[in-house]
Amino acid sequence: MSDGIAAPASARRAPLLTRERRRILYAFLAAVLLFVLGAAVRPGFASPGSVSAVLVVASFVGLVAAGQMFVILIGGIDLSVPWVLNAAAILLVTSSLGQDGHAAWALLLTLGMGAGVGALSGLGIALFNVPAVVMTLAMNGIMQGLTLGLSGGMTCGGCAAYAPPVVQAAAHATWLGIPAALWLWLLVAALVSAVLSLTGFGRRTYAIGTNARASYLAGINVAVTTVALYALSGLFSAVAGIMLVGFGGQAALGMGDPYLFQSIAAVVIGGVAILGGRGHYVGVVAGSISLVALVSVLMAMNMPEYGRSIIYGVIILVLLLLYGREAGEG
Amino acid sequence: MPPEAAGAPNLPAPGQRPLQTSPQRPLPRPPQRHRPRWAHALTQNLGLELAVAMLAASVAIYCGIYYAAQAMLPGGFELTTTVNNTMPLALAAVAQTLVVLTRGIDLSVGGVIDLTNAVAAIGLGDTPASMIGTSLLVLLVGAACGLLNGVLVAYGRLQPILVTLATLSIFQGLAIRVLPQPGGQVPEGYTAVLANPAGPTSLLYVVLAALFWWGLRRTRLGVGIYAVGNDEGAAEANGIDPRRTKVLTYMLGGTVSAAAGLFLAANATAGDATTGNGYTLTSIVAVVLGGVSLFGGRGSAVGAMLGAFVTTMIVNILFFAHIDPLYQAFYEGLFLVGAVLLAGGIGRLVRRA
Repeated sequence: MSDGIAAPASARRAPLLTRERRRILYAFLAAVLLFVLGAAVRPGFASPGSVSAVLVVASFVGLVAAGQMFVILIGGIDLSVPWVLNAAAILLVTSSLGQDGHAAWALLLTLGMGAGVGALSGLGIALFNVPAVVMTLAMNGIMQGLTLGLSGGMTCGGCAAYAPPVVQAAAHATWLGIPAALWLWLLVAALVSAVLSLTGFGRRTYAIGTNARASYLAGINVAVTTVALYALSGLFSAVAGIMLVGFGGQAALGMGDPYLFQSIAAVVIGGVAILGGRGHYVGVVAGSISLVALVSVLMAMNMPEYGRSIIYGVIILVLLLLYGREAGEG
Repeated sequence: MPPEAAGAPNLPAPGQRPLQTSPQRPLPRPPQRHRPRWAHALTQNLGLELAVAMLAASVAIYCGIYYAAQAMLPGGFELTTTVNNTMPLALAAVAQTLVVLTRGIDLSVGGVIDLTNAVAAIGLGDTPASMIGTSLLVLLVGAACGLLNGVLVAYGRLQPILVTLATLSIFQGLAIRVLPQPGGQVPEGYTAVLANPAGPTSLLYVVLAALFWWGLRRTRLGVGIYAVGNDEGAAEANGIDPRRTKVLTYMLGGTVSAAAGLFLAANATAGDATTGNGYTLTSIVAVVLGGVSLFGGRGSAVGAMLGAFVTTMIVNILFFAHIDPLYQAFYEGLFLVGAVLLAGGIGRLVRRA
């Protein structure tokens, strides 16, 4: 009996390099190629220290992109990344006032804020049918106004405080010669991949992204899953904000701005379908690395800002044309 | 079999004269709820009506707060500055509407405004010939930007949000290349024509844009835009080329964004390669407030222009209500969510009634 069933299944076994895996491979190849190119332009670009520095910067993009990927997997988008991240960074320093004694509850408060704000966006999208673009755009404005207003435009007493030394030390620590930021990223990558491929929650996420209506009819609680995914996106923005402020020491206004477009670009370069239903975090990791490596190579070439901006756009277009086509995706 | 179904073949298809094939007398029409023509029109244009209501309400609140603060009603000066400050956003909203109607989204609007604003600032000379020549060149630059977006979306079969995200970066880079530092000189004569500080003459351009829209909707392209946004497959089956329609739509959108760049330069009397950035997101806000559906095929650019004026009025109201400008984005965000929820609620109520 087992033979009778197994034989046709193995005959129709998917090829080793499926479309999705090919995309992930391309993203990793692009990252390696960029490091080789960088080494050709400036000797020492591919040295362990330099690679590690690029990877640490990529880990910040990768953390935000993890949240962004969760919502893009159900065909959504999170435009509230910049100010959720910024609010998290400022909340951490103002609530802890740079004291280790307050660090634990300041971290909890900050993570809770991120998840809570994300959940609010998710509620608006899931229960009131507000388009994700509008809801998260509005939430970004709300968080921007609250952050600016409550901090008095960063003039408040606690705003100039540093991140608690514990957090700074953790952000700068190395273990086995590898920076803590990369260990955290590795942990997040393992957790996110496990949740998406091994749990019911992950399967529900892919199902909703493939067909929300069918998922609803199949008994999936689409609203609860949607709210949870947006909460996760907010949570990851907050984690990135904490890491950034731990790394830089102080919070600043506008520190989250670059992460919106970078997170979306990393998700797309990593082969996640923008309409949802397909993609893996491994690809997003590769996307984050190649994106940051590209910027670093251009800076090593002393490319002026305008040139970086143009090349950045052109490369994303080329990558999209290589594997972002709509046709044949069904 | 129910009588209606049995009689169905004898009923005329919509837009067709009844066929006189059988001598039998016409069957009674199937029971159907009748809705007066005015009620139908009211439901169909709900988005636009809500935008008008929002604008009226915001103007009324503004006048009230202004009166409380200044002991007089706002006059010509306030109207002039409001119109001049809103024109770039109103045009950006028209450009965004065009693309959103085809079920797309244009994140590069801000980049096109940056680029065209920069080109205008270095190109505009004091002679009328230079002004007209540079303006035409700027509009061409905008059309070229739109063409690039349109070709990539329609023939490259890429998602609009990704294409315009990438081209936004390209256009912003080009803008900084053209005008590395804020500056340039916009001649006074040019400002007097596009953003006359002496009187609300720019209202004329709002009327012109509305007339342009009225005309566009009656062209083949205008019909095509709505058809493609509603159902691309059905549009193609009815002889509309969706790809050609999209390319033309993005080109037209780029041209209108370029016009927004010209108005921005005229109002600021100088150029800046980064002031346009904010228009990407505010144009989406204006489009949403104006009742244009982000799912395509429904809404009008007139509504989006009203939405642009509503956003300006909210800023004015917050200013006269002495609300800390740092909180401005907070109230704008709350208002956006509130307006969308309200519009959704009213829409459901009206459809049920």
